[in-house]
Amino acid sequence: MRITDLLRAESIQLNASPADKAAAVDLLVALHSKAGNLTDQALYKKDILAREEQSTTAIGCGIAVPHAKSAAVKRPGLAAITVPGGVDYDAPDGQPSTLFFMIAAPKDGGDTHLEILSRLMVMLMDETFCQRLLSAGDVTEFLACIDQQEAEKYPDEVPAPASAPEQAQEQGYRIVAVTACPTGIAHTYMAAEALEKKGSEIGIPLKAETQGSGGAKNILTRDEIAGADAVIIAADKEVDLSRFDGKHVLRVPVAEGIHHPEELIRKAPDAPIYHHTGAVAQEEIRESLGRKLYKQLMNGVSHMLPFVIGGGILIALAFLLDDPSIDYANFGTNTPLAAWFKNIGGVAFNFMLPILAGYIAMAIADRPGLMVGFVGGSLAVSGATFLQPGGGSISAGFLGALIAGFAAGYLMLGLRKLCDRLPRALEGIKPVLIYPVVGLLIIGLFMCVVNPFVGMLNNALYAGLASMNEGSRVVLGFVVAAMMAIDMGGPFNKAAYLFGTSTLATADIAAGGSGVMAAVMIGGMVPPIAIALATTFFGNRFTPEERKSGPVNYIMGLCFITEGAIPFAASDPLRVLPACILGSGVAGALSMLLGCASPAPHGGLFVFPVMHNVLGYFVALAVGSLVGMLLLAILKRKKA
Amino acid sequence: MVSAKTTIINPMGMHMRPAQLFVKTITPFGCDVTVIANGREINARSIMNLMAACIKQGTEIEICCNGSNEADCLKAAVALVESGLGE
Repeated sequence: MRITDLLRAESIQLNASPADKAAAVDLLVALHSKAGNLTDQALYKKDILAREEQSTTAIGCGIAVPHAKSAAVKRPGLAAITVPGGVDYDAPDGQPSTLFFMIAAPKDGGDTHLEILSRLMVMLMDETFCQRLLSAGDVTEFLACIDQQEAEKYPDEVPAPASAPEQAQEQGYRIVAVTACPTGIAHTYMAAEALEKKGSEIGIPLKAETQGSGGAKNILTRDEIAGADAVIIAADKEVDLSRFDGKHVLRVPVAEGIHHPEELIRKAPDAPIYHHTGAVAQEEIRESLGRKLYKQLMNGVSHMLPFVIGGGILIALAFLLDDPSIDYANFGTNTPLAAWFKNIGGVAFNFMLPILAGYIAMAIADRPGLMVGFVGGSLAVSGATFLQPGGGSISAGFLGALIAGFAAGYLMLGLRKLCDRLPRALEGIKPVLIYPVVGLLIIGLFMCVVNPFVGMLNNALYAGLASMNEGSRVVLGFVVAAMMAIDMGGPFNKAAYLFGTSTLATADIAAGGSGVMAAVMIGGMVPPIAIALATTFFGNRFTPEERKSGPVNYIMGLCFITEGAIPFAASDPLRVLPACILGSGVAGALSMLLGCASPAPHGGLFVFPVMHNVLGYFVALAVGSLVGMLLLAILKRKKA
Repeated sequence: MVSAKTTIINPMGMHMRPAQLFVKTITPFGCDVTVIANGREINARSIMNLMAACIKQGTEIEICCNGSNEADCLKAAVALVESGLGE
């Protein structure tokens, strides 16, 4: 006779506040009646009160166990309430009672009553257990606590994990089930286990899919659903039923799955046939692939974020502590203090892309992927090629690192598949020799093939910009600024930046410097600012984590540290990049139009004082950032 | 320490009311009381422990008293059990 079998969800009430002993009794009796344990509520109450007349059933420590053996009891059962405020139940220790279990035992129940009582005491003697019950947020959690405690105190009774599904697989399942509960930790799995166990007990093969907090497990396949006679949905939250169109579908609370598995299995084939209205989710596999890719990507982005923030703030401090007038070209490293901050921040920045690639690869191929992705990301940054293995001058930027991460992950996955064919005796040397060595070779070859294309692209872009120099300055401003935002450190960005600094050489520094340089700088400042603005004013487009890291982008944007935008761009490139590119382009064009010019290649806000037409530059920056923000708000979907 | 064996005779065993009575009877003596039942030692001054032990009718128990008034306490406890724990 397990407590879990006796106590139903409907006979539990948490956080009750009965005024006195009589009110507490009324409440508990009503709960028993609600759970269907009684034939005669009034008679049962009379028997309970008669028992209380003899002596109180409060036993101290805040616990009370009112009980009666009564002819009015249909089946043995328990009702429970928690009273956080406590109620006077004449306890022997004079303390108010907070935790009530009322036992209903049949008149001729033999030792049932003593067994239930004993079991309750064994469990309740544990004070932390009582505390957990009292602080349970909902009935599901309350029941999960009890189940856990009972399993702990009576380990012999815990059902062995069902190995039945394997046997049943050949002839298919007669019943399929889905279990789910709001928290998705305990009841989902208890219900699935109860159903599968009962199914194998009574010879009806049953497979239960659990939609718990860790995602769906033991997922039902299309064939399994097609082959089943009926479907049981034991869930306290929304379950997508489109898969079960045209089947007999029995929908019950998750507790039913735990307490009455046999009844459900017997009843399910007689349940009404479910007709789904609306689109049937056809592409289950493709959809899950998209989600998988997104999760792999985000694994890289979330690990990269601290490097971006830490490095970015230190570099911003370097600009704050430096004096641009000493040497414009080396702004940020002119004074020893500034140089220290800039270099330390730079070290963090140098890890950014390898971390991104490494953790993407790790999400795909597990531990063997980490090193390969890390090195792949590093090679993307260094721009290594076969002719210049030590690193070319052109970094493949964050887009290159994304390619490296995914390539490393899937190459390693392929390598692991291939290695499955090796003799078992070689199992031990796979992770210590084969994966690292072969993986490193593969990613080295791969990146050296990819990088030259990046270099060629860079050269072509640079040449294109040089030829544009003769044409419209406004268009040129738009293009260089937009390029800064395309890959934030890759070939586009580098071509534009290099072109900008090359114009400095011929520009008249005394007259304010180069207009192209100003446009380049503004193009790199807009993306972080636009993103920071969007996280502030359109927070519902971002995850909570993104919202929290958003404000740092104001600082990075104003300091011309475009990298601040990378985590956002990497996690949603198809929406974030167009917004940034257009915002930057608009700012660059305006900067040119208004005749702004800069004598310094770097520094953002800190070199504004030495720039030409600072007011116009401010206007251009503000307009471009607002354009970027609005586009982000339009393009990005609202998060639920 | 003194001890004696006896048998639970009341039909319902050591449920709540008998346990309450047992604790109430032995407490005034001020000695430690241990009940050995079903191979387990139970601190008989705790009503929860007594009930948790699930001592049914016909179970032979050993009552051990240790401390002040231990002999009187044992005598009272055995008499209580043999009288059917008030039932």
